[in-house]
Amino acid sequence: MARRLVPIILALAVIGAVIGIAAIMLVVLGQDWEDALFWILAAVMLGAGLLVVTMRDIIRCGLAMMVCFGALAGIYVVLGAPLIAAAQVIVYIGAISVLILFAIMLTQTKDAPSRLVFQTQAVPAAISAVVIAVVIALSIGATDWAEVPERIRLATDALSQVLFNDFVLPFEIVSVILLAAVVGGVFLAKREPGGPS
Amino acid sequence: MSWQDFVTISPLVAGILTAAAILVVDLIQPARSAIAVATALIGLGITAALTLIVGLNPASAFDGSYTVDALTTFLDILFISIIAMTIVFGPDYLVPRNLPVAEFATILVFAMTGAMLIAASTDLLVLFLGLELMVLPGYLLAGFHKTDGNSTEGAIKYFLLGSFSSAIFLFGLAFVWGLTGTTRVDEVAGALAAVVAGAAPLSPGLAMGLAFMTTGVAFKVAAVPFHYWTPDAYQGSPTPITGYLSVLPKVGAFALILRLFVEALGPLSDWWLPVMIVLAAATMTLGNLVALTQDNVKRMLAYSSIAHTGYMLVGLAAWAGDPSGRIDGIEALLFYGAAYAFMNLGAFAVVAALQKRTGVTSSLATFAGLGRREPMLGILMTLFLLSLTGIPPTAGFFAKANIIIAAVQAGGPLTILAVIVVLNAAAAAFYYLRVVVYMFMRESATETPALRHGALLWSGLAAATALTILLGFFPSALLEAAGRAAQALVPG
Repeated sequence: MARRLVPIILALAVIGAVIGIAAIMLVVLGQDWEDALFWILAAVMLGAGLLVVTMRDIIRCGLAMMVCFGALAGIYVVLGAPLIAAAQVIVYIGAISVLILFAIMLTQTKDAPSRLVFQTQAVPAAISAVVIAVVIALSIGATDWAEVPERIRLATDALSQVLFNDFVLPFEIVSVILLAAVVGGVFLAKREPGGPS
Repeated sequence: MSWQDFVTISPLVAGILTAAAILVVDLIQPARSAIAVATALIGLGITAALTLIVGLNPASAFDGSYTVDALTTFLDILFISIIAMTIVFGPDYLVPRNLPVAEFATILVFAMTGAMLIAASTDLLVLFLGLELMVLPGYLLAGFHKTDGNSTEGAIKYFLLGSFSSAIFLFGLAFVWGLTGTTRVDEVAGALAAVVAGAAPLSPGLAMGLAFMTTGVAFKVAAVPFHYWTPDAYQGSPTPITGYLSVLPKVGAFALILRLFVEALGPLSDWWLPVMIVLAAATMTLGNLVALTQDNVKRMLAYSSIAHTGYMLVGLAAWAGDPSGRIDGIEALLFYGAAYAFMNLGAFAVVAALQKRTGVTSSLATFAGLGRREPMLGILMTLFLLSLTGIPPTAGFFAKANIIIAAVQAGGPLTILAVIVVLNAAAAAFYYLRVVVYMFMRESATETPALRHGALLWSGLAAATALTILLGFFPSALLEAAGRAAQALVPG
């Protein structure tokens, strides 16, 4: 039982730490409430993400992932990209998470454990993840982002203008990639006559 | 999209339509592999013809994100011939194992359109999408033998690491876009030239973006230390697909490197040159050393393909390190890509032909006594292996010679790299020639009758052989084409 609580305690610790930083930032540096909202959402996202990789029951991992996606959608709203937030909710929370839960439901048999079997290098992976995160955070912090002016307004009409004029070629190519993926996916999923059912 | 734009991308459209046509033909005439192969070859022929016609007039489409120049035409023709040969080699191996030829051909042609897109794109976003279109079919092909556990294992490893590397590349691309404000290759080059000239500071975010993009690309070409997925993916895949995986995604990734590192990051070449030198030296040395210890021919060829990646990276480094800006290094890289493609496909075709009878492994023992059992295949395999070693007068000799000459011309640290290439080529001779020794000087433990091979396989082998020999005797024609392509990439 204690072993099960470890991931949850870990996630709560991360959430607490991030909110703590946020509180310090708000009180000492005088940031506004929009920033506070960002910090809270980021804390939830990090905590949920940590739960996804540390919890042992795959269904709970899937549910934690939905929370993670939801927090990310909230961050998109805070950043002023409502369209992407809506797409995030519809596609990731609505479709992909349900698909994942369905896949788990359909592939699980009684004799196969739902425990994760790939966690053999968790410690080195955790160390390198933290190191890379620190490097990214440091270089983002050291970059002078003020020099970057606001380039694209992400309002829906502006986005569609960009998508169907400047980026029409990439837009069409994505459809070809999806076609290739569908062909291959159908082939891989197709049941062979005489193969395992 | 104007009519002119459509004409410019017509080879790409023809490729996509070919893939669709194979599917439709297979729907009407199910499981008739000869018809599927014929459809594919006709479609590829039309695509090649369109490529050559469109290539006569260098043009730019879609507001500068798609460019047709000598480099595009050179690489497109190379990609089309690689795919045509792979499709021709396939049925001999696939049909006895009840694997569908039509799906195989369709997925291959999709991958080809991805590679063609990379060769033509002058926009980082299109470059990324081309990369995805090229490698996604590769994951499917690696797992093509669904009932074989090794195939599935290799496919999953390839898929996971490949997706991670794509994500890393995209992450870096987002940073470069955010800090330069553009995804157009020439505008990125302009922004970076300003950084080099000291007009703008190199922000840590931009440096990190470039580092992530380099890492992503190194994964795709399987440069050491980003090569761990290669041996498993190559050994597990059905043999004709292994041949394909060791050639098209590799040459395609080098097309990406040319567009990215030479065209977009060219101004920064002094900065990335040390990285390339270390990558090249580590890649060829480790690839060859591990290949020495393999007793499975497929796995050996997988490690040797890592080593060949290293040689090609030397060509890139030779261009970047040349003080007078000569393009010989890029020319040598392009020539090497073409020569490597044909000899490696040929070698894998022989391995696949031996495995026509199901259950035959690709271990070295399979090759014992092959010279007596099937003399023709033995001689062809010897030719391809000699070419891979780099012995004159084969294509492989001139490919290596050009790389070494370009590196020596560049001088400085590149001279040391040239010495490493020579030492590696000598070490590689050991494991290539060991297969020859097995074929002609060992007796087979079990007496197996010779197999009958289809006309398709023989015609494909004839094409690979002809190209390997012709490029060895008359390398100048291809060298000139490679020179024009390099000229288009680096004007002046």
